[in-house]
Amino acid sequence: MGSQQGRRLKWKKPVLASSGFVLFVLALGLMKEGAGGLAPLLRGRLEITNAADSMGFGWLMAYLVLSGSPVAAAAVALLSADALSPLQAFTMVAGSRLGASLIVLLIGFIYALRGHNHWTALTTGVLSLLLCSSVQLVALPAGLLILSRGWLDNLAIPALEGLAAGINLGLEPLIGPLAAILPDWVLFVAGVGLVTLSFRLFDHALPQMRLERTDLSQVPRLVYRPWVMFLMGLAITLLTMSVSISVGILVPLSTRGYMRRENIIPYILGANISTLADTLIAAALLGDPRAVTVVVTHMVCAAIVSLPVILLAYRSYERAISGALAWITHRRRNFALFLGVILVIPVLLILL
Amino acid sequence: MKILLCTDGSSHTVRGLNLGTRVARTAASSVDILAVVQRDQEKEIRQLAEEVAADLEEAGIPVTIHWRTGRIAEELVRQAQTTPYDLLIMGSRGRRGLVRLLLGSVALQVTGHAPAPVLVIKGRVRDLKRFLVCSSAGPVSEHTIRFAGRLARALEASVTLLHVMSQLPLVEDAVLDDLEASAEELIRRGSREGVHLGQMLDLLVAEGVVTRAVIRHGLVLDEIVAEAQEGQYDLLVTGAHITPGLNARLVDDLSADILLAANRPVLIVRQEQ
Repeated sequence: MGSQQGRRLKWKKPVLASSGFVLFVLALGLMKEGAGGLAPLLRGRLEITNAADSMGFGWLMAYLVLSGSPVAAAAVALLSADALSPLQAFTMVAGSRLGASLIVLLIGFIYALRGHNHWTALTTGVLSLLLCSSVQLVALPAGLLILSRGWLDNLAIPALEGLAAGINLGLEPLIGPLAAILPDWVLFVAGVGLVTLSFRLFDHALPQMRLERTDLSQVPRLVYRPWVMFLMGLAITLLTMSVSISVGILVPLSTRGYMRRENIIPYILGANISTLADTLIAAALLGDPRAVTVVVTHMVCAAIVSLPVILLAYRSYERAISGALAWITHRRRNFALFLGVILVIPVLLILL
Repeated sequence: MKILLCTDGSSHTVRGLNLGTRVARTAASSVDILAVVQRDQEKEIRQLAEEVAADLEEAGIPVTIHWRTGRIAEELVRQAQTTPYDLLIMGSRGRRGLVRLLLGSVALQVTGHAPAPVLVIKGRVRDLKRFLVCSSAGPVSEHTIRFAGRLARALEASVTLLHVMSQLPLVEDAVLDDLEASAEELIRRGSREGVHLGQMLDLLVAEGVVTRAVIRHGLVLDEIVAEAQEGQYDLLVTGAHITPGLNARLVDDLSADILLAANRPVLIVRQEQ
């Protein structure tokens, strides 16, 4: 009986991973097919006509689906179908990263409202948003400059491009008839839904990583050098393709579910770079070099901003972030103001 | 307590020697003075070392002077490696910024290699009557606390035990109460930090030292420096790991950070892990 269960577990993860990949590819195909017809809707009714609009759009979309990755994948699909320009796709990906922190904030907020009066529950969500926005503040103009000058143009991943061509050919008999009967926006929304589902399947397919037996098992108690935690965040997120999963891997290290802020700040900074690995795969599978360029530019800019911080000015950065965190969680009024700002900014980006 | 004092004639080592002599007068059973002679100041250094020796001998403490030439950090470490001391006392210039980056810190060279606790005299403190002892709530703390307790008793100083909670919750069901609690609450609740603080307080009380515990929340280094300044403590005491293997390269040396950031005397108590 035990061996039967073991055999089932042995097969479960590869099956989940394969199903996730098939869904992911199908979702990309649907999004690409549907995105082509969305251009009039985006540019006309929604007035997503410039880089600021698309950033606000990506930000709000991430709020809506409570995740950044499906929105980033949607951004490259929209670019691939010429519904967005490369600059717009770039800012939409940036917006998706900023909006992705809402889920952590929301969980903390519900917990705080449940009568526990523990504003500490909110700190990780606020921290991850602060870290992401502090990087984006500099990475965004740097990325726009790189894209407008074409310094990273025509990047491609040939192996995945070949695979993309094959996949598109294989999906044609399935997507073609669907496209004939369903409106474009339905295809696109179905694609976003499927891509979200595929990420869930990937999350379940990941092997359980056990860090408690390594030298890093003392992460909750000791203060590790910033570059160590930065590389760890970068590497683990590259494998898991999700910041929340990657941070979740640290949880078993601490029996009480918390971690020193000196360790978690560089970890999230590293994770913010490699979290776009799934979007990079999506861009490559779409077979569009422009989409690959947009995602690589994003990762390069996040690295350009994060590396000097980690190597040269980490203490000042850590102090500034920790100070902002303390201010936001000090009073309800401050937190309400912070919440107002992060809700209003994406709307303003679209309206102005 | 066998104490090693040192000077190379520079103003900061003379300042260290002055406060070190006051400490040795009440806490030492015997004293060695390491006089690192510089070519242009030989006469002054000899005179200074002999004056300090005479002063201590007058208080009934046996003194031996060791004459050396060379660099003070290397000579101090070499002397400490050949003779067992309970405490090394040295003055620090307190280099900052680019100068420290280029020339390094003499105090760090000594604290990083000396086999005994090192008291680094910095700032304008005249007496050591109020200790702030940093507790990591780990095994290193106990050794540090015992040593700080012994020194505090000898100097009739009071001790405040500081623990900084810098943790953030990663999951919604994390033990949030502990992250927001005061020292008294942690001790009453019997949390991991509370139990540790309680044990450390008991150790200090057993040494006959007046003591209390304080919890601060935030970044470890910043909160330690802030507490030292706000509480106007005379001495910061911190333990340090001598960690073998991979961890030595991965873990931040907080004692070094405290030594560089503090503007008052720092006592670093190293212990093998």
